[in-house]
Amino acid sequence: MNVNKKLFMFFSLIFLVTLLAACGNSAIQSNSNSESSNTEESTEQQGENAGEGTIKVGSILPFSGVYASLGKDLSDGMKLYFDSVDWEVEGKTIELIEEDTEADPQIALRRVRKLMDQDNIDILTGAVSTAVAYAIRDDVDTNKLPYLASHAGGDDLTRGQRSDYIWRSSFSSWQIGHSMGEWAYENVGEKMYVAAADYAFGREVSAAFKDAYTAAGGEIVGEVYPPLGNNDYASYLTTISGVEADGVYGFFAGSDAVRFVQQYEQYGLKDKYTLVGSGWLVSEDLRESIGDAAEGIFASSFWDYSLDTVENQEFVAAYEEAYNRRPTVESLEGYDAARVIVEAISTLGGDVSDPDATVEAISNVTFTSPRGTIEFDKDTHHIIQNMYITETVIEDGRTENNVIHTIDSVQDPGE
Amino acid sequence: MKRTLLQFLVAIVALAIAPFVLSLFHLNLLSEILILAIFALSLNVLVGFTGLVSLGHAAFFGVGAYTAGLVAQNLSSNLLVTLGLAIILSMVVAAVIGAFCMKVSGFYFLMLTLAFSQMIYSFIYQSTNLTGGSNGLSGIPRASLGAFQFSNAVYIFYLVLGVFFITYACLRIIVKSPFGQVLVGIRENETRVKSMGYNTNLYKYTAFVLAGGLGGLAGSLYTYFNGFIAPSDVYWTMSGAVLIMVLIGGAGTMLGPVLGAALIVSLETIVSSYTDLWMLIVGAVFIIFVIFFPKGIVGIGQSLYQKFKSNKQQSYERKQSRVA
Amino acid sequence: MDIIGAQLVNGVSYGLLLFIITCGLSLVFGILGVLNLAHGSLYMFGAYLAYSLTVTYTQSFWIALLVAPIVVALIALVVERTLLRPTYHLGHLSQVLLTFGLAYVFHDIAKFVWGSNVLSITVPPIFSGSTSIFGQTFPVYRLIVIIVGIAIAVMLWLIQDKTRWGAIIRAGLSDKEMIGALGVNIKLVFTVVFVIGGVLAGFGGVVAAPILGIYPSMEFQTLILALVVLVIGGLGSIAGTLVASVLVGVVETFSRFLFPELSMFLIFGLMAIVLVFKPNGLLGKKVA
Repeated sequence: MNVNKKLFMFFSLIFLVTLLAACGNSAIQSNSNSESSNTEESTEQQGENAGEGTIKVGSILPFSGVYASLGKDLSDGMKLYFDSVDWEVEGKTIELIEEDTEADPQIALRRVRKLMDQDNIDILTGAVSTAVAYAIRDDVDTNKLPYLASHAGGDDLTRGQRSDYIWRSSFSSWQIGHSMGEWAYENVGEKMYVAAADYAFGREVSAAFKDAYTAAGGEIVGEVYPPLGNNDYASYLTTISGVEADGVYGFFAGSDAVRFVQQYEQYGLKDKYTLVGSGWLVSEDLRESIGDAAEGIFASSFWDYSLDTVENQEFVAAYEEAYNRRPTVESLEGYDAARVIVEAISTLGGDVSDPDATVEAISNVTFTSPRGTIEFDKDTHHIIQNMYITETVIEDGRTENNVIHTIDSVQDPGE
Repeated sequence: MKRTLLQFLVAIVALAIAPFVLSLFHLNLLSEILILAIFALSLNVLVGFTGLVSLGHAAFFGVGAYTAGLVAQNLSSNLLVTLGLAIILSMVVAAVIGAFCMKVSGFYFLMLTLAFSQMIYSFIYQSTNLTGGSNGLSGIPRASLGAFQFSNAVYIFYLVLGVFFITYACLRIIVKSPFGQVLVGIRENETRVKSMGYNTNLYKYTAFVLAGGLGGLAGSLYTYFNGFIAPSDVYWTMSGAVLIMVLIGGAGTMLGPVLGAALIVSLETIVSSYTDLWMLIVGAVFIIFVIFFPKGIVGIGQSLYQKFKSNKQQSYERKQSRVA
Repeated sequence: MDIIGAQLVNGVSYGLLLFIITCGLSLVFGILGVLNLAHGSLYMFGAYLAYSLTVTYTQSFWIALLVAPIVVALIALVVERTLLRPTYHLGHLSQVLLTFGLAYVFHDIAKFVWGSNVLSITVPPIFSGSTSIFGQTFPVYRLIVIIVGIAIAVMLWLIQDKTRWGAIIRAGLSDKEMIGALGVNIKLVFTVVFVIGGVLAGFGGVVAAPILGIYPSMEFQTLILALVVLVIGGLGSIAGTLVASVLVGVVETFSRFLFPELSMFLIFGLMAIVLVFKPNGLLGKKVA
């Protein structure tokens, strides 16, 4: 009887397996296809897609977990741009397939494989967490899938881990940190303290800041790296309040930024040291939660809500009308990524069947974005863009950022 | 016994033809299910057979995965080397942690295993130079065996499948052995087993080290499968997920953890394609299982089978009566 | 010397904040034997409700402090009556799984209702200033937290030791059948205790929100910390939880001060050390 029961179990397992076997080519076939390097077959397949007149864009963003709000903004920004061209380029319809990465690299990898093997996407975009971008890097590279990174800022993605098929339209840690260094030395003072969240991004950004700041002649008098998601900064702030410095460079984002900036004021540090940091410290969606404590912070970013250009005003107006809230820097990233994709498809005349031609087309894209003129560095595959220093002030009872300084065409060194 | 062997062979054949019928995506999903099934089976040695509920099993998965990745990067990508070192190191770690954890029981055991696994997590997370920290360890070379490389999904699948069946068979033999019976005895009534003259602590300790080694084995397979490993796989949520696989599948059975892994992975993949609120649905499934099917999927199968059998019995009796 | 004193105040304040968050979990475990993994979710609901009440509806922190715990208590009541009660006979592990599933469900409900942005609430003006202790600037609200934490500890002690309810609860703890035979409705006791746990969780959410913030997945982060405190103190002992809260608060604060890189490691290390030397926690009794 026990044996029979087990037999039943095995059959149910087999049943489950067959159930999973939905439509589609068998794995053996797909593998031999890719192995015998017959681009013919794959172009044929893509040609089919082209015949139907659809270009499939896969997007991997976090819609659940700690980065969910960033994922939403990126997605909304992308859709806003696709809306503006009626989801059509060169007679082809754009189909956007979104998958939730949950900010977990392994899950993201599973989803990317689904997009590649099941949905046969032509172009991939997205990834908020840098770990996700690194996780999918090898699969994207071996499958020759054009991938436009639209947020993940880890330096190595366009350095050591560079791939012919990976291009980035967002930013690199280096750009964020480096841009503040010289400005801080000239405008804040000669001695600074560094406090950054202890994860790869925080470490990279603060290292870039320290390099630029010390190269300009400044001195780092101390540094501390609280864990990511640290819930109380009291102890760190008490330590900082005892040092001799002109300012503090803080790298925090999300809920960490809210707590850090609020507690920075509560512990009386605001009167002692100027607080500078990255744009995420005072980002558009956090400042309301931070409240007046954000006043007087200087931050560096590649876009700001207050940028006074025609392109930006149009973008902001369109976004606010569509979603009834202010765009964030992530909305802008999504918007620009969608535009890069559309412009690339347009130069290809709508034929995205050859991945090498597609990445070549992406590399040639240049336009005046709401953040200023952008173009790709063909050596590093990374974007060249302006960086802005903003100051947070109080206007009409709420905090606003003002752009006070522009650093033109910042190019990541790529090594 | 003969029939068991027969079923075993049927299952092997059924799964071995999977690459011919399944699409690449589904094959990868199946590989992932089998890897997590090995992981769930390893935890089942503790939870199901010995009655030790651990919430820190991801530690061994992580040690195995990172060892396999680091060895492949720095020493040799030979499967036997990476796999061997991954298992040995995770057993060593299990031996150290186990030595402390044997002193406590119940919830304290649960929490102490959690504490150790979180310490290992923070070590991995913070050792950016060694492990890549929050970025994860990427660029891991494919596993190889001599000149042969496990370079595509099909090869990896067969590797995983082979390891899965070997693990399953070995565990089944262990469970049926006198050693396994003592473990079950400890789960049912430790005091009694102790009074019979067994050194229960030694048995529990052995089970802990064995489970740790198998957890490391699963972890290293995950590294071959993805070519990447991230600290989130060492985090306590991973320990929680595998515990849920065991409990939902049916703790203390051989097939339960396998079915639990299959259910959770498929559920998460399918549901999250349709809605962002997948946690709601997965959570609701847990609750339904606890209230209505406390014995897990295997329990459902059992009761269905019982029903089926009693129906057959009835119809047999009816037939008999007609004949009479 | 001043900096040590200031850090000590930081530590005690943080520790008592942990106590406010954890005491409900400890109470429920001590009396019901249920390790409520949804405790963090109840805490989260308290915080989110406080946000809605202070920002959207009433603008008043005081009303939030009163109303949010009551609403959370109602949620706890529904959970206990519909989900927990049928599973008391199934054993501890089932309830762990059940409440873990609940935590998942609550997570998505909160996301659905409040979105996934980072939110915060402001405290009333009389609490929002700063004062000076040991020559350091110190937010007044942190000092209020110390007072509230001590007040809750005293209150719980009074209820447990000096009232008839406390007597019933203590009796129920040591012998559930006996107390039933004496004509006390044990089911009612369980419900009431679980609801009190809910009130405390909701209250903790409101009090902690101005310091710890409101963001997606806040409940899991808090839950882990609360479990650590609970276990160090010893399961089922409110006094143990109080001691452990302050210990964890002070150790974590000083480890951030002295070895900032190790702070994540140290808190679990502390738990491991305590359990190795005192397998039932600092003041805990033996539980299966």
